[in-house]
Amino acid sequence: MSEPILSVRDLTTSFFTRRGEVQAVRGVSFDVHEGEMLGLVGESGSGKSITCMSVLRLLKAGGTIKAGSATFEGTDILSLDEDALSDLRGNRIGVIFQDPMTSLNPTLTVGEQVMEAVRRHRKASAAEARARAVELFELVRIPSAAKRLDSYPHEFSGGMRQRVMIAMALACDPKLLIADEPTTALDVTIQRQILALLKDLQRRLGMSVILITHDLGVIAEVTDRVLVLYGGLVMETAPVRELFARPAHPYTVGLLGAVPDLRDDTHKRLTPIPGSPPNMLAPPPGCPFAPRCVHAMSQCMAALPPLFGAAHQSRCWLQHPEAPKVDAVHEVAA
Amino acid sequence: MFTYILNRLGMMLVTLWAIVTLTFFLMHAVPGGPFVSERMLAPEIAAALNAKYGLNLPIWEQYLNYLGRILTFDLGPSFKYPGVSINSMIAAGLPVTLQTGLLAVICVVALGVPLGVIAALNRNRWPDTTVMFIATLGVAIPSYVIATVSIYVFALRLGWVPTFGLDDWRGYFLPVFALSGFWISFVSRLTRSSLLETLEQDYMVTARAKGLRKGQILFKHGLRNSLLPVVTVLGPVVANLITGSFVIEQIFALPGIGRQFVLSITNRDYTAIMGITIFYAAILMVMILIVDLLYVWLDPRIKLTKAAA
Repeated sequence: MSEPILSVRDLTTSFFTRRGEVQAVRGVSFDVHEGEMLGLVGESGSGKSITCMSVLRLLKAGGTIKAGSATFEGTDILSLDEDALSDLRGNRIGVIFQDPMTSLNPTLTVGEQVMEAVRRHRKASAAEARARAVELFELVRIPSAAKRLDSYPHEFSGGMRQRVMIAMALACDPKLLIADEPTTALDVTIQRQILALLKDLQRRLGMSVILITHDLGVIAEVTDRVLVLYGGLVMETAPVRELFARPAHPYTVGLLGAVPDLRDDTHKRLTPIPGSPPNMLAPPPGCPFAPRCVHAMSQCMAALPPLFGAAHQSRCWLQHPEAPKVDAVHEVAA
Repeated sequence: MFTYILNRLGMMLVTLWAIVTLTFFLMHAVPGGPFVSERMLAPEIAAALNAKYGLNLPIWEQYLNYLGRILTFDLGPSFKYPGVSINSMIAAGLPVTLQTGLLAVICVVALGVPLGVIAALNRNRWPDTTVMFIATLGVAIPSYVIATVSIYVFALRLGWVPTFGLDDWRGYFLPVFALSGFWISFVSRLTRSSLLETLEQDYMVTARAKGLRKGQILFKHGLRNSLLPVVTVLGPVVANLITGSFVIEQIFALPGIGRQFVLSITNRDYTAIMGITIFYAAILMVMILIVDLLYVWLDPRIKLTKAAA
């Protein structure tokens, strides 16, 4: 595979709150390759959003990147000054957020919100920016684009607002698009449209996409490669088909077991993962999933396993050559 | 828009009528009258005066007479100062009050909003704590204390400004300061909390994610959205300031209408009470209308409808 366009190494991010240091991301590394759609999956609090917001340095108050690097097109984003960083944001890297209802400024027209991104990064006249905005609205298939530029966000439906967000993120032909749960706040039927649009745009514009979601269905549908996060750590990473066919980490297996299968008419009960996510104020020294894991051994509580494997990596002691053989971890959930 | 304003003006007339009626009857319910004083008038003279001003008529007839008169914008003659009409009384006092009041309004906007912004942007650091400390004092200390203390310090001790009157441009400093002190403090606190809330909004993160410059993010996306509550209070504040303050006008010996209003009450100068009340109510209602129109400009989600009137 080609050179990665984004290379994140040992990213460590904490939030300093009154109750102490919340270790949200604890050394995450991954690469995003050209034209690839990478899925980041995990439950709430797994660190998936914080990982991406750290890469853009858009953390909310109290969030601090403690260590690591994020190399984008040869420069480390984490060491850029504020000006150079703002040159990058919205220009080479676009972002889409979860809730299109609150992510658009209610007092500015949607056209203005798209045009200001164009004018910020390109020396464009008002007319050129407007023409570009129309082009973008057509690209994301907002009907009667030219007319709708002068509408306000509240005059749009949720799905249309998310299209506006996408248009805004694509304003300057970014190389990388970060989509943070772009369909979570939308109706199911609209979710599919938005996903299809994202996939289509990714192919046509040849950009790379990081798609953050907690929905494995979304992951299966559009991504090329998946990163499973839990407790601020990468638990497993694999090409999407490989992950669904041969999940190597008990957590991934648990996630897959909790997804309903509509084609299955045996009325099989969904298998929830027992227990709750670790307390990130004081994460356990061993594997964060160990307390909830059916295969947990004393070793799992004592020490954090490394990522085993190459193309398909799994952070589980069961992957250790000397580990006891568990019959095909991926069938446990069945 | 046009029909909305017409509608609102119509509603204002109804409200004004209600205010006139209430004030009229309340005023007459209070014991005493314009010609009752410590120095007893001869009964014949009192009767003659009452007859001259129509005070011997049944109260409902007085009320109808008064309504008929104000429909022609005639607020009547003063009962206390012979030969002086209430219209001319307001015309004489208004310029003074308006000048100091408008200057105070300018101070409130030009100082209150920026101070609030500075405080919000430096949350919990020294500029914030300094501004908020002073603002808390400003809200807590009554204006007459600010007025008297500032006269003592700046006029008597330092001699920078005159102690009273507006003959000199420097005379404006203290009354304007005393008038606006509370509202500057109030508005800066309000701006701070409102801006802090806006800065937490998701669309502020979007603005940063677009790579916009700091100033653009703050002014275009932040401030505009946080000014709504500020504009809400500014309507009544402007009405309050341009109609004058009795205390401040008394302390600085300014011949404004705030002072006349209070004097008219102790004098039982019926027409003056009514006239100034009507005048104050009208200004307040116009200011509220202006605020409502400003809303629409600030926040496109707000639509003017007949129902809103």
